[in-house]
Amino acid sequence: MSDVLRRIEIPIALTIIATLIQVIPYYVNIPVLDTVASRASNSVLLIVAYATFIGVISILQVHGKRIQRQSEGWYYSILVIGFTVIMALTGLPLPEAGLGVNNNIYNWLFTNVLTPLGGTMYSIIAFFITSAAFRAFRARNLESAIVLVAGTIMVMGNAPLITNLIPPIADISLWIREVPNMATMRGVMIGAALGSIALAVRTLMGIERGYLRGGQE
Amino acid sequence: MEILISGRIFGLVSLLVIMAAVAYYIRKSQEGKVPSVRRIPGIDAIDESIGRAVEMGRPVFCSHGIANLRAATTGPQTLAGLSVLSYVAKRCIDVGAELYVPVRQPEVWPVAADIVETEFKLAGKGDEFDPDRIRFLSNNQFGFSSNYMGMLMRQKPGANIMVGAYWAESLQLAETGSRIGAMQITGTAQTSQIPFFLVVSDYCLIGEEIYSAGAYLTNDVQLIASLAGQDVGRIIAVILGLLGAITVTLGSNVLINLFRM
Repeated sequence: MSDVLRRIEIPIALTIIATLIQVIPYYVNIPVLDTVASRASNSVLLIVAYATFIGVISILQVHGKRIQRQSEGWYYSILVIGFTVIMALTGLPLPEAGLGVNNNIYNWLFTNVLTPLGGTMYSIIAFFITSAAFRAFRARNLESAIVLVAGTIMVMGNAPLITNLIPPIADISLWIREVPNMATMRGVMIGAALGSIALAVRTLMGIERGYLRGGQE
Repeated sequence: MEILISGRIFGLVSLLVIMAAVAYYIRKSQEGKVPSVRRIPGIDAIDESIGRAVEMGRPVFCSHGIANLRAATTGPQTLAGLSVLSYVAKRCIDVGAELYVPVRQPEVWPVAADIVETEFKLAGKGDEFDPDRIRFLSNNQFGFSSNYMGMLMRQKPGANIMVGAYWAESLQLAETGSRIGAMQITGTAQTSQIPFFLVVSDYCLIGEEIYSAGAYLTNDVQLIASLAGQDVGRIIAVILGLLGAITVTLGSNVLINLFRM
């Protein structure tokens, strides 16, 4: 029995059925299928909610072992586990017990720890862009020379001092953004959209199996 | 009551045409007429990057992006990334490289773990599979990226392969990988992130190339044939694009009305 359940045809069939349940009501007006699709979507949300626990278990396993073995920087793992447990417990949806998103501890941690940390991580992108630009803006060949010139014009076009001193720079940078850049981006977007549709078609037809145990039987 | 929903008929016809084209080319491939696929240097370099990591005695990192499997536009990118992961896991097991898979979405973690575990079992090394290396980091975007960057700095992988949907963290991860000297192969269909990957990584898969990666890597005849079917859709899109430009320039809305059917 377990051999039958482990056959790859089962997840492929489930994928095809789940896909059809979502695709058919999008194009065809069948109220019963709409209801089925809606229920399937809600079930997915439940599965995702359950999967969150898998994430927590993975964190506890990895960091628990680090603490147990006292690996390098193990004390940071105590912080990770500590905050995971505190946030999980104080964020439980039990408002009558004073827990949930309005809990003081949860709110304080969210506002004073999570938000500033996220903001800091986002803001350091500026430094990464600078170092990446330093590496990219080197005229080693014709292509990189074009990138260098276009990039320099774009930077200058976004600097009010430069556009005030040399007004045509603003027009040139606008042209670069709206003509060659836009054309390239649209080409990439159309190609990617078609690739995405083709992947969906392959998945629907049960040909694409890379996401299922490496596509093995 | 109309059976077909108005405004979506053209989309349905397009979908059916692409499906028919894919089915046609698959049938032709079964008769021995397999279309040729152009070389994609970024995918060819995967083996080289893993070999380099082994020679340096360093691990391999393979990420499938930070998107979930449900989103209409980014979910397929995660699927494409998982196809690449499947191949990378196989090659890592073959050459004895340590593979680490940083995961952001909890629901993708079991899929990624299953892919890697199955490759170990198929290689007859099931007992060597370590689930701790398929590591859920955080479902917070920057929690994930800071954790990933920390792993890169501490473990200094020889190869960092990132194929999937990425957002603002793309440059943080790729730039950190570059600083530690990892050979980097990246790929995404997120147009806003492609320039970052192009600048920082050794090889970059652009847009649709990531969707072809699974077919290209497995060399599966049916998958390769389906790429030819996809090209039919591309040809139709180009023709419609040109026709649209001409008809709109001439003041006609025929094509626009057709799309709105």
